[in-house]
Amino acid sequence: MTGRAFAGMLEARLYVSRRLVAYSCGCAVLVALAAPAGLTAPLFLCSLVGIVIALDQTPGRHRHLDRCEQSAPLFGRELARAKALVPCIAATLATLLFAATQFARGAPDVAATLLVVPPAAIACALTALSATTRRGATRALYVLLAFATSGGAYALAVVAHSYAAELAFCVIVAFLALRQYGETLARFDPI
Amino acid sequence: MRDASFANATARAGPLTLDLEAGGRVALAFSTSQEATIVALMAAGIAKATTGSVLIGDYDPRVQSVHCKRLAGFVPHEPLQLDEGEFPRYIAYRAALWNIDATAAQADARLLCERLEGMHEAFSYPLIGALVASPQLIVLDRPQPAYAVQILRAVEGRALFSTHAQPSNAAAFT
Repeated sequence: MTGRAFAGMLEARLYVSRRLVAYSCGCAVLVALAAPAGLTAPLFLCSLVGIVIALDQTPGRHRHLDRCEQSAPLFGRELARAKALVPCIAATLATLLFAATQFARGAPDVAATLLVVPPAAIACALTALSATTRRGATRALYVLLAFATSGGAYALAVVAHSYAAELAFCVIVAFLALRQYGETLARFDPI
Repeated sequence: MRDASFANATARAGPLTLDLEAGGRVALAFSTSQEATIVALMAAGIAKATTGSVLIGDYDPRVQSVHCKRLAGFVPHEPLQLDEGEFPRYIAYRAALWNIDATAAQADARLLCERLEGMHEAFSYPLIGALVASPQLIVLDRPQPAYAVQILRAVEGRALFSTHAQPSNAAAFT
């Protein structure tokens, strides 16, 4: 896959999801203004943003983009990488805005937010992506897994105070989730 | 296609045997819209046949799907809701996915727009999007018979395969 195709897909996906991304960012700012100090609010909110934007990539929601991508000379894993980056960017953007608002408020958790939240939000988004190619109970299971991922990250970072363990957990989950999504897209039946 | 059929839990199509030479034209009518879509997707190398075989050029979509998709352009049945101002963005997107020169693609698209004059943009834009990649085969899923003349003029020189849900619609493309 060329970098141009990758950028083209990314731009098109972000363009069609632009309202959702904008609402998510607005929501992050509002919550950062109102939320008490700590990592609970940014971690769960930004993970939720990642999950929601990931579910917005479900085939059928942007039917024409899906058909273009399916008919383009690209491999499933290449499609997976480009599509996976969309919720990751949205979740990271929401995290950055959350941290910026915290900074503007003079809250003490800015560094912790930037350290802990992006890995968790990205791991959640990538796990939720596998739900987009499934239906029914399996889809619900992957969404639950995504929420469980944010719970696991929270337990490691906030309860156990181990940022390194949280990062390692999120990297492993994200790697496995992206591989799984690529394999699923390669075998995906568009009918 | 040789006895190509598709079946999953909710959909079924075929078996179908069909030969289409370079530059040839085939229009087939099916009993349901779903079957017409499935056959079009198989012919474009997007859906893989569960039994039988499909060859696009010399390539098998089951193992060489990327090569097949370079040869075949697929035009879906659904209209594309796009503002006129978004059309250059759409062509740039298609050019990026197919890795073709963006400037040439925009110029080709403008030329095709003129050729398809009289055709509603919602139906002409997807066809133009498929044609800018210069495919050897164009696959149309249930195209509008009202635009048959413009479509046939635009795809001239390329192989054309269209699926339909009504025999009278197929007749317009033969």
